[in-house]
Amino acid sequence: MRLLFTILSILCFSVGIMAQRTVSGTVTSTEGEPLIGVNVLVKGTTTGTVTDFDGKYSVSVPNQATLEFSYTGYTPQEVNVTDQSVIDITLEEGIALGEVVVTALGIEREKSSLTFAQQTVEGTELLEARDINFLNSLSGKAAGVEIKKSSSGPGGSTRVVLRGDKSLNGNSDPLFVIDGIPMANNRSGQPGMWGGFDGGDGMSQINPDDIESITVLRGSNAAALYGSQGANGVVLITTKEGKEGPAKVSVSSGITVENIMLKPDLQFRYGSEGGTKESWSTTRGNYDGSYVDDFFQTGTNQINSISISGGTARTKAYFSFGNVNARGITPQNTYNRYNVTFKQSTKMLNDKLTVGSNIILTNEVSRNRPAAGYYLNPLTGLYFFPRDRDFASFRDNYSVIDPDRNVIGQNWFVIDHHQSNPYWLLNEQPRTDQTNRMIGSVTLDYQITEKLSVSARGNYDFASKLQEQQFTSGGNTTNIHPNGSWDYWKFTDELLYTDALLKFNDNFGDFSLGLIGGASYQKTVFGLGTRVDGDANNGLLYANEFFFQNLPPNVQVQSTLNSRLVKQALFANATIGFKEMLFLDLSGRNDWASTLAGTGNESYFYPSFGATAVLSKMFELPEAVSFAKIRYSNSKVGNEVPYNVVNPQNTIAASGGVNRNTQQPFENLKPEIITSSEFGTNWRFFDDRFGFDLTYYNTVSTDQFINLPAPSGSGYTRYYVNAGKIINKGIELVVDVTPIYTPKLTWTTSFNFWTNDNEVVEMHPDLASITTGQSEGYGSRFEAGGSIGDIYVYKFQRDAQNRIILDENDGRPLKTAMQELAGNLNPDWSLGWNNNFKFGKFGLNFIVNGKFGGVAFSQTESMLDGAGVSERTAADRDAGGTTIDAVQGDQPVSTIDPELYYRAIGDRNGIGEPYVYDRTNVRLTQFSLSYRTSLFNNTTPVTLSLVGQNLFFLYLEAPFDPELAMSTNRNAASLDNFNTPATRTIGFNINVNF
Amino acid sequence: MKKLSILKYLFVLTLFAGCTDDFADLNTNPYQISDESLRQDNNHVGAFFPTMLNNIFGDQIEHNLANESFVRHLGTPTPFVGGVNNTTYYIRWNSYWGRVYGSIFAPARQVLQIAEAENNEVFVAWAKLLRVLAASRLSAYHGPIIYSNYGSTDKVILYDSEPELYNTWFAELDEIVAAFSRNTEFGGMAKFDDSFQGDIGAWIKLANSMRLQLAMRISKVNPSLAKTQGEKAIADPGGLISTTEDNFYIRNYDGFFRPARICFGWGDTRMSATMESVLGGYKDPRVSKYFDPATDNTLYPDHPDFPYKGIRNGAELVAKDDRLAYSTIASAFQTWPARRCFTSSETHFLLAEAALRDWAGAGTAMDHYETGVRESFAEWGAGGVDAYLQDDTSLPLDYDDPKASGDVNDFVSRIKVPVKWDEGEDKEVKLEKIMTQKWLAAVHNTIEIWVDHRRTGYPKLPYNYKNDSNADWGVIPDDDFLRRMPFVNGERNNNPEGVADATQKLGGPDEIGTRLWWDTGGPNF
Repeated sequence: MRLLFTILSILCFSVGIMAQRTVSGTVTSTEGEPLIGVNVLVKGTTTGTVTDFDGKYSVSVPNQATLEFSYTGYTPQEVNVTDQSVIDITLEEGIALGEVVVTALGIEREKSSLTFAQQTVEGTELLEARDINFLNSLSGKAAGVEIKKSSSGPGGSTRVVLRGDKSLNGNSDPLFVIDGIPMANNRSGQPGMWGGFDGGDGMSQINPDDIESITVLRGSNAAALYGSQGANGVVLITTKEGKEGPAKVSVSSGITVENIMLKPDLQFRYGSEGGTKESWSTTRGNYDGSYVDDFFQTGTNQINSISISGGTARTKAYFSFGNVNARGITPQNTYNRYNVTFKQSTKMLNDKLTVGSNIILTNEVSRNRPAAGYYLNPLTGLYFFPRDRDFASFRDNYSVIDPDRNVIGQNWFVIDHHQSNPYWLLNEQPRTDQTNRMIGSVTLDYQITEKLSVSARGNYDFASKLQEQQFTSGGNTTNIHPNGSWDYWKFTDELLYTDALLKFNDNFGDFSLGLIGGASYQKTVFGLGTRVDGDANNGLLYANEFFFQNLPPNVQVQSTLNSRLVKQALFANATIGFKEMLFLDLSGRNDWASTLAGTGNESYFYPSFGATAVLSKMFELPEAVSFAKIRYSNSKVGNEVPYNVVNPQNTIAASGGVNRNTQQPFENLKPEIITSSEFGTNWRFFDDRFGFDLTYYNTVSTDQFINLPAPSGSGYTRYYVNAGKIINKGIELVVDVTPIYTPKLTWTTSFNFWTNDNEVVEMHPDLASITTGQSEGYGSRFEAGGSIGDIYVYKFQRDAQNRIILDENDGRPLKTAMQELAGNLNPDWSLGWNNNFKFGKFGLNFIVNGKFGGVAFSQTESMLDGAGVSERTAADRDAGGTTIDAVQGDQPVSTIDPELYYRAIGDRNGIGEPYVYDRTNVRLTQFSLSYRTSLFNNTTPVTLSLVGQNLFFLYLEAPFDPELAMSTNRNAASLDNFNTPATRTIGFNINVNF
Repeated sequence: MKKLSILKYLFVLTLFAGCTDDFADLNTNPYQISDESLRQDNNHVGAFFPTMLNNIFGDQIEHNLANESFVRHLGTPTPFVGGVNNTTYYIRWNSYWGRVYGSIFAPARQVLQIAEAENNEVFVAWAKLLRVLAASRLSAYHGPIIYSNYGSTDKVILYDSEPELYNTWFAELDEIVAAFSRNTEFGGMAKFDDSFQGDIGAWIKLANSMRLQLAMRISKVNPSLAKTQGEKAIADPGGLISTTEDNFYIRNYDGFFRPARICFGWGDTRMSATMESVLGGYKDPRVSKYFDPATDNTLYPDHPDFPYKGIRNGAELVAKDDRLAYSTIASAFQTWPARRCFTSSETHFLLAEAALRDWAGAGTAMDHYETGVRESFAEWGAGGVDAYLQDDTSLPLDYDDPKASGDVNDFVSRIKVPVKWDEGEDKEVKLEKIMTQKWLAAVHNTIEIWVDHRRTGYPKLPYNYKNDSNADWGVIPDDDFLRRMPFVNGERNNNPEGVADATQKLGGPDEIGTRLWWDTGGPNF
């Protein structure tokens, strides 16, 4: 810490005194026409203005500032302000051909030469909503990016899928890259139907204020240079760096409040009968239901960050400190994060050598992150509680003392594995999720000649994590030992990456040539640590003391290692250009992967190629067209296979015996292969006021790595095969329009539209389907002709007239013998609509996101119906019966007793059909209103903003938020089983630049 | 010059990228234990026995919600899956099969391969004995099972018919007893044997007792083979499990007694109504060893001096908490160290039946009947056995379910025999007494009494009150019992031809009403 303070004070020292003065001038086109509405911005700040009807501007600038002039349809310009007071500018018409974008490995490329789709989101856009996890802010801002936020509140994980699920057994998570270097994004435990917690992932640990921009490389085409890790696409994060000039200090501080947006519709007028735990009385009462609302609290998020940056021609530095203090909507849930980032670069040896380094330090602590699923989830007991009983007595006295033992235990009205006293759960099973993380990198870049450079990089990403929960004795007997139970897992996640690149660029007449060759080494070790798993039988020796000495012999202290992988690669890329109108891109990579050791397939090669034609350079196009290009690319990439499946060994059982490995060794394992091609075109019109980018892609995944149960008689219990074929194809369309562009008011709007069609074309020949998630209420499986994300539920038995068939004896609705296909959890298509208005000093931004098609499933609603606590069961009791189009024997039936009906369809394993909802929803995802002003004689720009997130639904079919995931694993998207309710966030933010 | 240095650089890169020697180590989990390491201390064969033993018994869905309910030992208060489940003859869970193959057959196969290659005949015999033990219990569920073709690489794996299975088991028991007898001084098992601490003589007694048990199973369907094998078991110099010191227990390797977890941890099991009826009617002193009194004293107005209440099997249940106050299993089971798997009382009841069937060397039925009861009392530490054996008037009680209205869940006891032996009665009555006492002694080890009940019809248990059987899994008439468990879904899907062939061997549809081979439905004598 002392070192940091030292650095901090040096930086502060160099802030100096910043004199402010005014610069003015006129902006004209090359034809001499004044340009109206040109953006004039002091670089690195939010201070700026636009030119008036005469093309004139006037702006207050500090000493040694840089002014940026930008205007749609024209090439932007930057001018260093020395001591001039008048700066006149001439802007050149035409798209910025020289615009440089960051692609794989951090290599900068001219945007127009790219042969694949990529989309960049600026850091400022991500900050507008002030989500604690920047990934959640990506939603709707880029096409083809499916974001699912975990329902487990701050610090929870996020599921990101680019262009659909590509793997049956492996994962489809994209690769996350910081400044060209892969980072660890190891998602740990996820809740299931039966309960559990979200262990978070690596992304919540990044300070959003450090992000300069995020570029999404959606296809494997773009990512071929990352090899197998890039097979599912890449999210490139570029962090901020110091800029030449005097030190700048930016402070931003915000507070948002979080409230429930949508929770189940519960009844409070019918109680239980005869002391049951269900509320199926038919005698109407009037019970106080305020305890449900009272249980939740207003969540708050305080987000503060300060950054200091600056530099000279040789040395640049950036330092930031960020801090988040949040409390969730369930009591006792808190989240605290501290980030420190220091990034610097120095030029040496006659500016030929650039040495850069970056250190990111994070401390993240979540307490009592909300659970999902049945077990040890406060929401089950809260929602189920029989209406005629007195909740307050259980809330106020959630524990009772067992006088014989002198230990406390929970006070609840029933012994039931599904429910516990909610307040007991909140107070007597404290959970901690803690991460201390360091990402450090060093970059050396040596310019050998003007055309040839070599660079080497090294990165070490190390996280020490603790997941711990202490269950007090006397908790729910299904899960908790009479002396208390202890879940403890302390582990490290580690990623070491180094690479070396040789870059060569030259022009030969009309031809240009760019060559890159390189090698990389990467080692990841995830989940290396010590673990104790407690449950009803694996408890403590003496009550409520949570440490190793207090573990009885039947509780194992386990050494864990979840995965370990070394990957070595050689790769090369060549880009050949002709007259800046035709580009050909060739790349190849060879990987050596340790997870394939012993198979003879450790080494595998994959190529990719792409081509681009800039039509607007090749042909004379109508004047309305300012830019046009077409592109095509094709690539083949291997997808990783998991650790330790080739030849697993035996495990030591808690009993002291040895569990023989009964998985058949898989000695001819091959990498999964993803072959993808994409075709795209990009057009811009009317001086850049309107443009679109359209991509069609087709991704074929073969040699899927599939884990199968071995036939009982085979001598093994599991075996693996390489088989199957999945095709993802889809369209992505990005449209941007600037309908209004005047000095007073500008309005830019963009649409991100995408659709993905997933088909499991073929399975293993011996295998009709793979069950991937068989739980109560629903099942998911893959079968040829189906899609990943298909869910299966029990439906009503119906006759030829589509009437529900009732049991001849007791009249309950009958369900189908097998679960049947009920739809797919993924949407048919998605749309993000992003709007920005600027009106003088005011700015307004809002984003509308829509998901159309697909289904969502709620086990919560089914359980609430079965227990008679949902509003619909009460409404039906009010009405004297549930309306039904049914038949019993040969008698048509139009009403049915609600208890009979809902007990048959609801509860744990009833008839899922009524609980499958259309996923379609449209919502106002984000809203921000900002006001820019400045303090101290215009020396200090200040931005005040009112921000809101997830504000309301414009359209929603399901009774819960289908975009909130119980688990961020593949098969549990859009499933609800006592998830924490969806929330709306509103807040205020202030940003000051000194 | 420059070009050369670049080439050199690339060359170095290639070298470092090409170094993959440690890949196999990297891809191996250091916290697993290799076969090579296990060679130390004979662990490569021995260390798998605890795990195999630990899986001889299943858990809630394999026993408590299956055979333990079918034989009316324990009853569940929980209306699982809307009250329509195994206990009401609609199959929801059928997983003992998976446990036996996954956790016993798969490791046993590898142990056998290693032990056979090393000519380690004691471990071969031991693994085979556990395989016979597990398979004979599994076959009691399904009938034909995969046995001789286990480990085949064929796509279709055929099941063994029941006659084949019993012949194979008898032959294997011959080999096992012979191998054990040649090595009675071998000490290598002790480290892995929590049941008998490596006492090979004790394992021989178990093998002989199992032979007697399996012989009795087929006493009606193949009387001559049954007699031959039964007499062989009785005559073997190695002896039978005949006193409590010989009893075969399996340690709770999980660290807990599974029925106690189901009862106390999950609140999913209680005393059965039939246990209430029989223990209460016979004034059986073992009741306090088996069960705790009900915690609500309003539950048993019909027998206030006998403070126990059980749940009817196949009952009409509304809410789980209705019957949580009924009698739990005895609290002492929460710290019970081991599961009884074959005990001396069972041997004596087998010998009593053998005597009725005139098997040579069996002794007299009365002696073994009374010794069986005495051994059971001794095993549980219950007093009063002399008076108990002399009681010729007490009969099991009729049952009333206080939590269900009217006569819902109630039954009239069909057991009309008292405890006291009467040498003058006919064989059928004697058999009923033997079976009733065998049933009472079999607490927490209920597979064999499920076999006996199907084979002999005794004890005269109450039928299901609620019978949800239908065409899906086969129909059980209201005055009959479930006869078997169907073949498992995994096999129906993955090995359909094997299942079709097994259904042929079964001799009837793959349904729960189809009788197994030894369940002839004919007269007992």
